[in-house]
Amino acid sequence: MSTITVLGLILLLLMVLVGGKAGAQSFLALLLNFGLLFLAIVLVAFHFSPLIVTVVVGLMVLALTIFMSSGDDLSSTVAFIASAIVLVVLVLLIVPVEQWAMVQGFGPEDSEDLEGLSVLVGINFVKVTTATAILSTLGAIAEAAMAISAGLSEILEQHPQVGLKALFGDGISVGKQIIGTTFNTLFFGFFGGFLALFIWFTGVHYSFGEIFNDKIFVSEILMILFAMLSVLLTVPITTWVMTRAAANRRKRTAK
Amino acid sequence: MQSFKKTTTVTWWVWLAVLIVGGLLLWGTAHDAILYHDPIMRVTAVQQHQTTKETDDFQNVDYQTQQTLTGQLLNTKNRGHQLKVTNTYSASGAMDQRYHVGSQLFVVLHRHAGHLSATVKDRKRDTPLVFMLWLVVGLLLLLMQFSGLMAFLSVAANGVLFFLAILLNGSTQGAQVLWIFGSLAVAFAALTLWLVLGRTRQMLITLATTLGGTLCAILVALLVFHVTHEKGMFYESMQYVTQLPRPLFLAETLLGSLGAVMDESTDIISSLFALKRERPEITPQQIFKSGRQIGSTIMGPLINVLFFIFVADTFPMALLYLKNGNSWGYTFSMNMSMGVVQSLISGIGIVLAVPLASYLASRWLPKEVAA
Repeated sequence: MSTITVLGLILLLLMVLVGGKAGAQSFLALLLNFGLLFLAIVLVAFHFSPLIVTVVVGLMVLALTIFMSSGDDLSSTVAFIASAIVLVVLVLLIVPVEQWAMVQGFGPEDSEDLEGLSVLVGINFVKVTTATAILSTLGAIAEAAMAISAGLSEILEQHPQVGLKALFGDGISVGKQIIGTTFNTLFFGFFGGFLALFIWFTGVHYSFGEIFNDKIFVSEILMILFAMLSVLLTVPITTWVMTRAAANRRKRTAK
Repeated sequence: MQSFKKTTTVTWWVWLAVLIVGGLLLWGTAHDAILYHDPIMRVTAVQQHQTTKETDDFQNVDYQTQQTLTGQLLNTKNRGHQLKVTNTYSASGAMDQRYHVGSQLFVVLHRHAGHLSATVKDRKRDTPLVFMLWLVVGLLLLLMQFSGLMAFLSVAANGVLFFLAILLNGSTQGAQVLWIFGSLAVAFAALTLWLVLGRTRQMLITLATTLGGTLCAILVALLVFHVTHEKGMFYESMQYVTQLPRPLFLAETLLGSLGAVMDESTDIISSLFALKRERPEITPQQIFKSGRQIGSTIMGPLINVLFFIFVADTFPMALLYLKNGNSWGYTFSMNMSMGVVQSLISGIGIVLAVPLASYLASRWLPKEVAA
């Protein structure tokens, strides 16, 4: 058996042991997310527009991740709507910034890996890199939206009559609790992946000027910053969607 | 800092100040060529030449265009000197780019018999980088105030530690990479948790869980590597590798999962402390059960976060493999397999941290938690 199969089976076993049915469901969501990501790459290879593919696949990933985790209906729905809004806002920001920074495709550091490959493949790599940046933030958006909406729905359950303005403040304070650890998750997640690149920079003695303008470096740092920004935006947007949902529900029960 | 904590609403002039700082930063990085040693040219005129159609061996059609750029040197002792350079770009732009009037480019100068000529090296990118940095830090401080500042400080401190460790790794020629980054992981975790939680018992339990969970995951991974003889793992597919790939891969995985395991342990243990505060009579068995329940709802989304970070990054290269006539299986093996292995190892760490956090909290939670 290959290493991936064995590690996958161990993960499945542990998730079922620890989480029971919910654990099995989360594992299934992970598998489906991988399928969706691969599907996105294949679709772009068939010349579908990278941005449209990303937004559609992104929405499906968010729905899968959020609805397949355990959580009550209200908090899941709110988390999904909020994360969809964040996704749209993020696309509107990432598209111009990637155009501006011109960090598409590959850099001189990639030349060894590119040996023997044709790079003139007729697909706009600015769009591909934009798609990559958006896809890499999806997990973080879903996680943050779920954490905030779960926290708020618990507050709503315990204090059903909490004022909408107070609820908004509660959302921000739930956000304050998660922001420190979430930023560190992103920092380590990304920097773990870039370790080899940074070692390259020091090994080849790049100057600071060269590093801060290097295509690959800037592209990677922008990805971290987009992910952090998406988490930041998720806090007020999820809180706002939750206050709207609470207001709607109160109107309905008042009738 | 104290006043920052007290003001609950941010007034308009704070927003204005942040905007002005942003404007100054943008203006500054657009005019900082003088700080660079490498010659920088600003394009003042662009002349487009004809476009040619290119078809490669796999029937991929692309278009290449030549442009002549006229520009002025912004720095070095030849400052103000007029230059003409040519640039070729393709419609797909994977390795090249189109330049416009106003673009600032790094150039390499050549001198032939007193005549100065140049070739384009790359584009200057510090302005967009600083813009995004400003946007994130500005929003972080405006929205989260004191907590935002702490989050920023912990990321910045970890960044500095990371940089020092890389220098240390370089000075030992990468022979000790796993030890350096292993001890770095301990320092990272201790520093971050100290900044977030202070020196409390809660912090010690969280630290123990974080380190224990990550260590167990690496041990499980090593055991599986041994049993399966690393079948289906392609170290040669790792990018930018300049030293022995196997310890480097383990160090990358260790660091990558550390943050997520820490995130999860913090969540579980702080909820359990809150629970104990509300219901001081709760038994260790009940604490363990609640910890498991909290953990099992957050572990799935967290594994997802890392999965997308590790695997989405391979999109451009995987796409290129597919367009160069490679099969899906080979594209997966050469681009995504290592990222998937990393996600799985991190996932194992994240799941193992759940019972570990619940157990340690149930044993070590103080009898009386201060309200």
